[in-house]
Amino acid sequence: MSIQIFEGFGAIILEVAIALLPLFILFLFFQFIFLKLPAKKLKDIGVGFLLTFLGLSFFLQGVHIGFLPIGELMGQSLGTISYKWILLPIGFILGFFAIYAEPAVSVLIHQVEKVSGGYIPQKILLYTLSIGVGISIALSMVRIIYGFSLWYFILPGYIIALIMVKYSSKTFTSIAFDSGGVATGPMTATFLLALFVGIASVTEGRDPLLDGFGMVALVALAPILSVLTLGILYSRKEKGQDARNKAGTKINSHDR
Amino acid sequence: MDNIKETVLEVIYSILPITIVITVLQFTIIGLPIETFIQFLIGVLMVGVGLILFLLGVNVGLLPVGEMIGSALSKTNKLWLIIFFGFLLGIVVTVAEPDVRVLSTQVDQVSGGAIPKSILILAVALGVGTFVALAMIRIIFNFSIVYILAIGYGIIFLLAAFTPASYVPISFDSGGVTTGPLTVPFILALGLGVATVLRGKSASSDSFGLVALASIGPILSVLILGVIYG
Repeated sequence: MSIQIFEGFGAIILEVAIALLPLFILFLFFQFIFLKLPAKKLKDIGVGFLLTFLGLSFFLQGVHIGFLPIGELMGQSLGTISYKWILLPIGFILGFFAIYAEPAVSVLIHQVEKVSGGYIPQKILLYTLSIGVGISIALSMVRIIYGFSLWYFILPGYIIALIMVKYSSKTFTSIAFDSGGVATGPMTATFLLALFVGIASVTEGRDPLLDGFGMVALVALAPILSVLTLGILYSRKEKGQDARNKAGTKINSHDR
Repeated sequence: MDNIKETVLEVIYSILPITIVITVLQFTIIGLPIETFIQFLIGVLMVGVGLILFLLGVNVGLLPVGEMIGSALSKTNKLWLIIFFGFLLGIVVTVAEPDVRVLSTQVDQVSGGAIPKSILILAVALGVGTFVALAMIRIIFNFSIVYILAIGYGIIFLLAAFTPASYVPISFDSGGVTTGPLTVPFILALGLGVATVLRGKSASSDSFGLVALASIGPILSVLILGVIYG
């Protein structure tokens, strides 16, 4: 196989142009009817659109020649490996480090620390999330090796999440469900998905369409459950503190 | 300049770990042809440069647009305008979302064209649009997100019973990928714009939950696509 870098680049540029066009038209519409921005602002926005266009084209081309083929080839070679158990630690490591370094996650953990008044330190949430997503990907490996239906993971997962909502504060509920998205960044959708499709395509009895996809769903579930758990711990602590304060005042009034 | 440096670091942090793990795997248990690996490294470079340009572009041009449209809409004080354009914006942003494109390309390939890329993107976009509109309604009338979540997931599990099995994983994955680097900041900016004008300062906590709703939409719409199309 020879190295092909710009294969299909023309098609991708066209695709990106079509993808950005609706947004651009909508902006122009608003510009003429409501916004009427001055020329200087318009120039900034024009530059922004141009950068977005170039960036998206390069990104998709890079995914097309880099992450997708290597993901699929690695998946195929991992899927035929005789010691299948190794997929679990590999999955865990991939998930753990992908989250550990993900920029969107650092925004989330900062937000949670602020909302909980420092009770949930950034480090704790970061490790909870990283381990959670690591487990999700390891579980997805289990799913693909044994051919379990996605339902066995998703249904209990969301039912537990909805039950936990009852015991968690409203703020934490919103943050938890919003954070489902932070773990599923561009790397998850590109490399990991291709890897799973690759594994499913060589594993006997697995349908890549049915078993290869679904991994993103599990990855999105992990942060929801992690944040809700910490939210419940936090609300317990709040209640505990109230109780202790009351007890404290009683003791004070009687004994001291 | 700070902005650029931050974006560059951000992109490096999100690409590096996976690249390292792949490199380690390549030289320990996998060993693909060296050309493939070199092509991959070039791909990584392009992805990195692409993401940096993309994020800068979103920050400089697209986000301010989202915020301005959000506040311009609310100033009109016409509910139907806010809801309608929330719907439209949800669609056009999703169509441009990188993660959604990558997922639908793969679905198209793996299904051998049985689930075409353009149809899947359209379904996802309609789902996001509908739920962004719903989120606007929620901000305006201020009802609890828990109800929408419970009802939303309830309908999802019901619908899944009538959809061909192969659509289920794809639908949940679509819900995950919609919340990518363009959609999230954009709808947050839009929501913040609307909430600030409607309610003043207490706005920030209301716009939480927007992302959660935006990821329910595509799950539903792709399941419905499965019922119709499958």
